[in-house]
Amino acid sequence: MTAATAPERVRIVEVAVSGSPRRGLLSRLVGRLGDGTVQVALAVVALFWLMPVFGLLVSSFRDETDNNAGGWWTVFTKPAQLTLENYEGLAANETVLRSFLNTVLITVPSTVLVVVISALAAYALSWIEFPGRGWVTTVVVGLLVMPVQVALIPVAKLFGALGLFGTITGVVLFHVAFGLPFAIFLLRNFFTGIPRDLVEAARMDGAREWLIFAKVVLPIGKPAIASLAIFEFLWVWNDLLVALVFADQDSAPITVVLRGQLRQFGTNIDLLSSGAFLSMVVPLGVFLAFQRYFVQGVLAGSTK
Amino acid sequence: MSVPDTDAAGAPGARGVGRRRGHQVVDDPSTGRSPRLAALFLLPAALVLTALVLYPLVYSVVRSFFDRSGDEFVGVGNYVDTFTDRRTLTAFKNNVIWVVVAPVAVTGLGLVLAVLTERIRWATAFRLVLFMPMAISLFASGIIFRLVYDEDPDQGVVNAAVVGVHDLFSPSSSYPGAHPRDGAPFTATPEGFASTGTFRTGSAVTVPLVGFAPAQVPANAAAATAPTAGSDELRGVVWLDVSAGGRPNQLDGAEKGLPRISVEAVRDGGVVGRTTSGDDGRFTFPGLPAGSYQLRLPADNFELPFRGLTWLGPSLITPVIISSWIWIMTGFAITFIAAGLSAIPRDALEAARVDGATEMQVFRRVTVPLLMPVLLVVFVTLVINVLKIFELVLVIPPGSSQEEANVVALQMWQVSFGTGGDQGVGSALAVLLFLLVAPAMIFNIRRFRRERS
Amino acid sequence: MRLNRLSGALAAAAVVGAAAACSSGGTGAPAGTSATGTDLKGQTVEVIGPWTSDEQKHFEEVLAAFKAKTGAEVTYTPAGDELPTLLQTRLQGGAPPSVAMVAQPGLLAQLAKAGSLKPLSAEVVKAVEDHNAPIWKSLGSVDGQLYGVYFKAANKSAVWYSQKAFDVVGAKPPATWEEFISTGKSVVDTGQAAVSVAGADGWTLTDWFENVYLRSAGPENYDKLSKHEIPWTDPSVKKALEVLGQLFGDQRLIAGGAPGALQTEFPKSVINVFDDQPKAAMVFEADFVAGVITANTKAKVGEDAKFFPFPSVGGSKPAVVAGGDVAVALKDDAATKELMRFLASPEAGTVWAELGGYLSPNKDIAPDSYPDDVTRELAGQLVDAGDNVRFDMSDLAPSAFGGTKGGGEWKDLQDFLATPADLDGALARLEADAAKSFGK
Repeated sequence: MTAATAPERVRIVEVAVSGSPRRGLLSRLVGRLGDGTVQVALAVVALFWLMPVFGLLVSSFRDETDNNAGGWWTVFTKPAQLTLENYEGLAANETVLRSFLNTVLITVPSTVLVVVISALAAYALSWIEFPGRGWVTTVVVGLLVMPVQVALIPVAKLFGALGLFGTITGVVLFHVAFGLPFAIFLLRNFFTGIPRDLVEAARMDGAREWLIFAKVVLPIGKPAIASLAIFEFLWVWNDLLVALVFADQDSAPITVVLRGQLRQFGTNIDLLSSGAFLSMVVPLGVFLAFQRYFVQGVLAGSTK
Repeated sequence: MSVPDTDAAGAPGARGVGRRRGHQVVDDPSTGRSPRLAALFLLPAALVLTALVLYPLVYSVVRSFFDRSGDEFVGVGNYVDTFTDRRTLTAFKNNVIWVVVAPVAVTGLGLVLAVLTERIRWATAFRLVLFMPMAISLFASGIIFRLVYDEDPDQGVVNAAVVGVHDLFSPSSSYPGAHPRDGAPFTATPEGFASTGTFRTGSAVTVPLVGFAPAQVPANAAAATAPTAGSDELRGVVWLDVSAGGRPNQLDGAEKGLPRISVEAVRDGGVVGRTTSGDDGRFTFPGLPAGSYQLRLPADNFELPFRGLTWLGPSLITPVIISSWIWIMTGFAITFIAAGLSAIPRDALEAARVDGATEMQVFRRVTVPLLMPVLLVVFVTLVINVLKIFELVLVIPPGSSQEEANVVALQMWQVSFGTGGDQGVGSALAVLLFLLVAPAMIFNIRRFRRERS
Repeated sequence: MRLNRLSGALAAAAVVGAAAACSSGGTGAPAGTSATGTDLKGQTVEVIGPWTSDEQKHFEEVLAAFKAKTGAEVTYTPAGDELPTLLQTRLQGGAPPSVAMVAQPGLLAQLAKAGSLKPLSAEVVKAVEDHNAPIWKSLGSVDGQLYGVYFKAANKSAVWYSQKAFDVVGAKPPATWEEFISTGKSVVDTGQAAVSVAGADGWTLTDWFENVYLRSAGPENYDKLSKHEIPWTDPSVKKALEVLGQLFGDQRLIAGGAPGALQTEFPKSVINVFDDQPKAAMVFEADFVAGVITANTKAKVGEDAKFFPFPSVGGSKPAVVAGGDVAVALKDDAATKELMRFLASPEAGTVWAELGGYLSPNKDIAPDSYPDDVTRELAGQLVDAGDNVRFDMSDLAPSAFGGTKGGGEWKDLQDFLATPADLDGALARLEADAAKSFGK
C-alpha cells in the first residue's frame, strides 16, 4: 500500500467489508457451479473456521475430569457437563487476574502513546517543510518491516542499565518504538491526502501550526486514527514475545502467564481454555464492535 | 505497505483520491516552513526510534561478532556456529518450507474464496467469520490448535473425525492387542497367530491368550474348561490365561473362555476349516479328514483400534502449524483480494468479452493480470509475516517435536533468552532474520521513492 | 528434574496427604525452640524463590516462624521458573534480594564466581555439617567455600504403581531391574501397558537415564559423566542405555508405544496410571508425583497409589537421584545471616514438613514431622542413601545441554525413545551436544 492513500484505503476496505455492490462477471465465470453448491461449500468452510474456537469455548465450560474423559463434542449428548467451574477457578486465581490487569496497563498507554507521538511526527512529515524531510520519511518506510528480534538483546541490556527491565514501563516503551514506523506512515499518508485549501486557509488566517494540527488535521484524520488505535491496541494486547523478554513476574501480561502453564497442556486445559478465552474476550469484542476500523487497521498493518 | 495500490495495478479506471499525491506542496510559499517547529513535532518519535530501534540494530550487528560474554571478538564465529548447529539448520530449513508453501496456499485459497463470495448474499458474514482469527492472539490460536490436533481421539477433534471415518469402513476387532504369551507354541504371521506344531484329528488344543484386560471380556463368557474331541474332529479352547495366582498356560478354573474368536484349521498352507469359539471359548472343527492340521487365529481378531495420526509428532508438526497459520491468515487474504476484485474496471472486461474471449480467457488474460499487483502485495505481506513466525511454533509442538518445528525467530529467542544464554549467537540470528526481511524493506523503499517522484 | 518445573496450578496441588497436613496446622515454630532468637525488630529481609500457590503459602509459614522468633520482617517474592532471569536482572539493577532459593547448582557456582554471593558463617557451616550428609555440603560449596544451604529436596528415585493393577497379577514391588521388567510383562498380559513414560517432557527421560546410570555405572562414573570428564560414548553410558532399551524397546511395555509416550506430558503420564481408566500400571518420577495424583485423580496416595525405590541394576546398592533448592545469601546484614542460620536448622524444615509436599535433606528432622507414611519413606530413603545420593545430572550440566526443551540431552533421549535400536547414533548425538555445551 505504499502507494495507496488512506482515503482510498478506506473506500477499498468499505467495499471489501460490505461486499461488492454488483455481481460482476467473475460471478459469471464460476456460473457453471450452481449457486446452491457455492452456498453449501462456503457454509462448510465457515463451519471449519468456527469449529476450533467453538471447541475451545466448550472445553472451557467443562471441568477437568470431563475434559480428560472425552472430547468437547460430547456436550451434544451430555449437556449436563457444562459448568462455570473453570471460570470460578480463574476468578480465584490472583496471578491470572493480575496478569489481565497488566495486559490492560500495558496496552492502553502503548496505544495512546503511539497515536499521539505518531500524529505529531506525521504532521511534521506532511505539512511542515524542512530539509531532509524526504530522507526522514524514507527511513520510516524502511523501518516498517523491521523484525523486533534485532532489538531484543540490546534493549534488554539498555533497560537493565536503566532499571526498566521487568517493568510495565519498559514493555510499553518497546511496543511504542516498534509501533511508531507503521503508525507514522499510515497517518502521514492520510494527512497528505487532506485538501490543501483547508490547511492553507488556516495559515492565511494566521493560525499557529499547533492549532492547525489540533483543529484542522486531527479532526479530519479521525478515521485513520481510529483504525490505527484499534490495530495498535490489538497488536499489543495479543503480544507474547515482547512481554516474554521484558516483563517479569509482576508485570507479566496474561499471554505470558498462561504460557507458563503450557508445559502441562493435558492437565491444565481447564485453566488454559478459560484463560485463553478471558484473553480473547476483549479483542473479539473490539472486533465485533468496530468491524470496519478493525479490518482496515489489520489490513493496513499486517506486515508489522 | 500492504493495501493494494490501484495506480500501480495499472488499472485504467483507478480513481480518485490517490491522484492527490501528485500535488506537491513542497514549493508552495504558504506551506509551513520551519525546521525548528518540525524538529519539535518529530522529537518524541525520533528519540524513541533512535534509542530503541536504530541504535539496537547497530548494536546487534556489532554484538554478533563477539562471543557469549561479549568480551572477545570472534569475527564471523557466531555465524559459523549458526550454520553448523543442527537445531538452527532445521530452523532455516523450516523457514524455507514456510515461505514456499504457506503464502502461496493462503493467497490461492484467498483468491478462490474471494471470487466465490461474490456469489453469495451473506458475503459480509462469511468474511467476518474468516477474519475473526485475526482478532485472536497467535498464542491463543496456538492453544486452540494444540487441542484440535491432540493425538487422543477423545481429545482432538481431527483424530476423532479420522477415527470415526475409519471405523465406519472397518469396525474394530473384539480383542484388540490380545496375543499368545511369549514362548507359547504360536508365532505371529501376517495372517495371524499360527501354531508352531500341528495337531492330529481327535486331539484337543488349548490356546492360552494374554494381553487383554479380564474386565473387558464379554459378559456372556463362561469359565473355560478343556474339551475332549471325537476321532474325526479337532477341538480346542481359547481362553484368557490371566488371573491372580494363575499358572501360565494352565486352565485355572476361574479363567474365562473368549467367545467369538475365529479359528482356522490349516493344511499344506490352505485353510480347510473355519469356526468360531463359543461362550466358554471352545471351538470345534467337525468332520475333518484324518490327518494333522495347523491352527491359526486370524489377525483381525486382535487388530488394535485405529487411533488416528500423530499430528503433533515430528513428521507432521510443521504442516500442522502451517495449517493453523492458514486458518489465521486466509481471512486477511480474502478481504484484501476482494477489495482488489471490486476495483477492477468492468469496461476492460466487457471489451475483452465483446472481442469474443471466453470467460476463462477473460479470467486468465484480463482479470488475473489486473489483479496481479494486489496478489503480489498480499503475497509479500504474507512472506514477511511468515519469516517472523514465532508464537505458533512456541505453543503448538510438544517438547518431543519442538526441534522439528523450529524456526529462526524462535531459535533466536531460545538461544538468547531461553536456556541458551548466548547473546553472541542470538545477535547473529537476529541479524540474519533482518537480512531475510531486507528485500521487503528495499521493495518498500523503492516503491515509495518511485511514487514520490 | 527440578521440582519447580511444576509451576502454578500443578504445584498448588503438590500436597502429599493434604488432609493429614491440615490437621497438624502450621503456624509458628515447633515448641521449645523459640526463646533463643536474636532481636531483629525493624529489619527486613527479602527472599525470592520458585514456589507459587500452595508451596508459596507453606514456605511463608516457614518465614512466619522466623519472624515470630526474631521479629524481622520477611517478604517473599515468588518467581516460578523464571527465577534465574529475575535474579540476574535484579543483580544487574543493583538491587539483589537478601536470599534466593536456587534450583540449579550451576547457577550457584556461576553467582559465586561472579562474587554475587556472600560466604556463609562458620556457624552455618557447622549446622550444615551437623544436619546433612556431606554430599549436600559439597553441592552448596564452590572451591571449598560454602555458599548454599539445601533447604528442600526432591527424591527422584521412586517408581509409583497402582495397587489395583499389581493385585490383578499378584505382583510385588520389584527390587531389581529384571524383576521390574518381568512384573511389567505380567502386567502386559492383563491388557495394560506396564509403564507410562512422559516422553513429551525431555526432563523425565533424563531422570530415567540418570537413575539407570547411577545404578549400572556407579556413583564415581556418575560424577565423571556429570562433569563431562568421560564422554557420552563411554561403554558405561552404552550399557545404561542398553538397560533402558529393554524397557523403551518393548512397545507393549510402554503405554501407547514409543509414539504415544512421546506425546505424553508428565502429568498425563501420572493420570494414565491412576485414572479410572488406567492405561498403565507404573509411572516413574519424583516425590511430587504424589501431588499430581491427589490433584488429578481419585486415587489415594498410600492406598491405591504406592511407590517402590528405583530397582537395583546388577546388584547395585541403594542410591538416590535427588534435586533440590538451595538457599544462597546475596547480602550479609544481620537479619540475612540469621535467616540463613534458621534455614539450616531442623526447626525451619520441620515447619514445612508438617504441612506436607516437602522433603528435607536435613537428617535431624523427626520422621514424625512428615504427615504420612509415603512422605516419611521418601524422606527416609533420601537420608539413608547418605553419600550414594547424587544430584540430578541434567541440572548440573550447562542448560543448553541439560535443560533445553526440544534440544540437547532432552531431545537426544527423546530420539532414543523413538528408535531405541539406534543406540550408537544416540550416543554420538549425546556426545556431540555435550561437547558443544561443555566446551564453551
